[in-house]
Amino acid sequence: MNLEEQLKKFRLSKSEYELITDLLGRGPDGLEWAVFSALWSEHCSYKSSKIHLKKLYNKSRHVLQSMGENAGVVDLGEGEKVAFKMESHNHPSFIEPFQGAATGVGGILRDIFTMGARPVALANYLAFGDPSSAFMKRLLDGVVGGISGYGNCVGVPMLTGQTLFDTGYDENILVNALAVGLFCADDPIMSARGAKPGCVIVYLGARTGRDGIHGASMASESFEGSSQKKLPTIQIGDPFFEKLLIEATLEMIREGIVVSMQDMGAAGLTSSTFEMASSSGFGFEMDLGLVPLRDSSMTPEEILLSESQERMLLVCEPENTLRIQEIAKKWDLEASEIGKVVTGTKLLLKWHGEAVLEIDPHIVVERAPMYERPFVSEIPKILAKKFEWNAAEIEQVSPSVRAARESDKSWIYRQYDQRVGGSTEQDCSSTVGVLKLPSKRSLAVSLGGRPNWVLAHAFTGGMDAVLEPTLKMSLQGFEVVGLTDCLNFGNPERETVMTQFVHSLDGMNEVCRSLDIPIISGNVSFYNETKLKSIPPTPATGLVGVRRIVDASNIPSDRFVHPQKEAWLLTLPFRELFGQEVFDLGMSLSQLGEAINLLRDMSLGGEFETARVVGSSGLETTLESMIGSEVGFEWTSETELTRKYVAYQIVFTFKGEADIFSKAIKPFGVQIDKIGRTTRGIYKVRGQYLNCRQVLEVRSRKFPLFSEEYDLGAAVFGGSEKAIGNQNV
Amino acid sequence: MTVAVVQFPGTNCDRDVFQAIEMAGGRPVFWWHKDKPAAEKVSAIVIPGGFSYGDYLRCGALAAKSPVMSEVLDRQKKGVPVLGICNGFQILCEAGLLPGVLLKNRHRRFVDGWTSLKRVASDSVWTKTVPETLSLPVAHGEGCFYVDDETSKKLFEQGQVAFTYQSDVNGSVASIAGILSIDKKTLGLMPHPERAVTSWMGSETGKHFFEWLS
Repeated sequence: MNLEEQLKKFRLSKSEYELITDLLGRGPDGLEWAVFSALWSEHCSYKSSKIHLKKLYNKSRHVLQSMGENAGVVDLGEGEKVAFKMESHNHPSFIEPFQGAATGVGGILRDIFTMGARPVALANYLAFGDPSSAFMKRLLDGVVGGISGYGNCVGVPMLTGQTLFDTGYDENILVNALAVGLFCADDPIMSARGAKPGCVIVYLGARTGRDGIHGASMASESFEGSSQKKLPTIQIGDPFFEKLLIEATLEMIREGIVVSMQDMGAAGLTSSTFEMASSSGFGFEMDLGLVPLRDSSMTPEEILLSESQERMLLVCEPENTLRIQEIAKKWDLEASEIGKVVTGTKLLLKWHGEAVLEIDPHIVVERAPMYERPFVSEIPKILAKKFEWNAAEIEQVSPSVRAARESDKSWIYRQYDQRVGGSTEQDCSSTVGVLKLPSKRSLAVSLGGRPNWVLAHAFTGGMDAVLEPTLKMSLQGFEVVGLTDCLNFGNPERETVMTQFVHSLDGMNEVCRSLDIPIISGNVSFYNETKLKSIPPTPATGLVGVRRIVDASNIPSDRFVHPQKEAWLLTLPFRELFGQEVFDLGMSLSQLGEAINLLRDMSLGGEFETARVVGSSGLETTLESMIGSEVGFEWTSETELTRKYVAYQIVFTFKGEADIFSKAIKPFGVQIDKIGRTTRGIYKVRGQYLNCRQVLEVRSRKFPLFSEEYDLGAAVFGGSEKAIGNQNV
Repeated sequence: MTVAVVQFPGTNCDRDVFQAIEMAGGRPVFWWHKDKPAAEKVSAIVIPGGFSYGDYLRCGALAAKSPVMSEVLDRQKKGVPVLGICNGFQILCEAGLLPGVLLKNRHRRFVDGWTSLKRVASDSVWTKTVPETLSLPVAHGEGCFYVDDETSKKLFEQGQVAFTYQSDVNGSVASIAGILSIDKKTLGLMPHPERAVTSWMGSETGKHFFEWLS
């Protein structure tokens, strides 16, 4: 094989080859090719994004751990801490939707319990293309099935989710999974760092097989139209094994017998070994011949690059290996000593006693190239008008995409266990997922990120990805304690893509800094591109918030609760905030921060009966999603209900007088308008009377995979017992 | 009362059930699947939901043959009340302690949500204080209760049908959601009462299943 073919095989560029040659003092040899190929892939090295990620706001007094570990950790006070992170599994899910999505869930869970936190919640952010094609239906069905199959079995509840439909995802779907883990009182926070000479390296969990080889570099490339050829790069998950691994790992960590731990995710054993060795500053000696295999004919290269699931690498003191073995045995898992930590700084890999690779891990991990990809730095001026989508714009998409967007998404979330763990307070039928903490305070998870905003103006789209979920949380009385993101973009080597990436990241960062929301973890997924067509820029965010008072009874609903109540519409002064004054951020953003605090305080004070942010499909669709079979809505305002979408509007009903709120919000230059009233089972807009049941039925039947044969929605419903009387069919 | 909560590898509602028993004033203790805790005195046994042994072979089939189950069988024979929830129900059927089998949901999909239930039998320790109509969450992929028509008729006649769904949730014969043993001391239940024991969970009706354990 000549050099060019060798570079192509290992997906390295000419300049990267030259850099390796510089660092080693010679050209790469043998296994070094595979190691550099995996760890210098975009997926593992963040080489196109690192330079921009460095500037992210990630410190606040509550942050115990941010980037650099498997997940970030935030202190909630009262002895409670949470770890959370969001990650993409886009490429594998397009090739094999069920396994791709399932292992996405498995991977993000491992990031959480590797830290020593017990996983307590999941959320997912999905994007699909036009669902009218059989191909897209298969992907949708497969992804939901994969998430359901894995998450339900490991026993972590799905708290919330978001699903986009847009033809921009026809050739590249998005599957982003978020997991939250909880530490109580004295639970230690684990780290991938800290190994020291004399320690033993233990391999725990499933055996290594031939699945997922070269997965990391596959996920760092665009598709050329023949994605099925990439099938062998897909990992296969076993949630039962993961469940055992959760219990065994937490038991070991909580007994204090583990020095450091890392899961084997992208690039498998290679990344975990190299990263642990590099961060420890000491040498690692390992024999690949000791790795438990599913197929004894596997080569050292295959072992190093396999992405078999449910595997962990841990380092412990030699006197604790017996106890490690005991715990592993209790959970019917295999734990194998495969090496030791030694003095020096070299990583030595052997194959049945014979050295096959000796290298300074620091070179591979820390000296990966960092690219400053070209982008346009100037942020374009915008007009607020761009953020008002009129009827024509909303309706210009294909009927199937529009129907999918406007449909009720219960077909998806009713396949997820939303209550296992016995802590779920608000399930996926709410706009914000809520979990009860042991301290009896509540924890919320909310997702954000709207690609049409980023397309219209990337900086504002980035701001929106933080602001919109923050607003949703504050309406329910939650204070945001941290953010994780999953930045899904096309090919970073294209200037337009890189510009969207940088601007949206800057927008997010600006809001986070201003509202003191630390960005504690995240993931970048580039090369979501097929046949030169990139996906719409999609920075997905996951926000975690805490409601600091214990009384749960007054969390406002995001549905109408009682008939005969006045309904009001608040429009935040979006034009001023994002419009011409987009550069005058200090003033406007801090003012918005105050408004958000006011909303939160009034929510905690029990002023709101119902509060819901208007969604991207417009006010009418939002109103439809707020009614139930018993409580409807009647539009009574003089102004006509249009299909136009106006950003940052909120629908309210109040417990007391609307005046109290109206006066409080006035100093912000905001006014609220009465738009109608709630009714008994009737939905009346544009002079047309409809039975609520009919409206709900139509909404659920719009879902692309709605099955006439069996109506899941007719038998069960989301929410709670209260919802039975007012079910969202 | 001391109540055993059985743990298999893959059980994932064990801590929820533990919490529900504690909240009701009972004293839960875990029973590990590899043990045969012959000496421990317990007043009742609960087999929680989850995916015991990863649902390999068939839901509940492997768990039914585990060491701890021989102990559960011994106790049941001596009259100790047993409750199996979700996967626990499947295990009790596989172990032959309850009639019938649980098949894949008729619609082939996992189903999660709240269901309205009707209590049919009130003469069991597990059901006597449960209201006549109640709502509980379900979360299962294999909850379609099946027996032939003749057996179904017999189960109703003998008062062994404990609960029925008010709507068709999974295709169960006669909408059966819970079944009692002939002596009414063993209950298998597809919905999850432990997920409805305080108001913030959405309903409190599930606590009636546990309150007699205080």
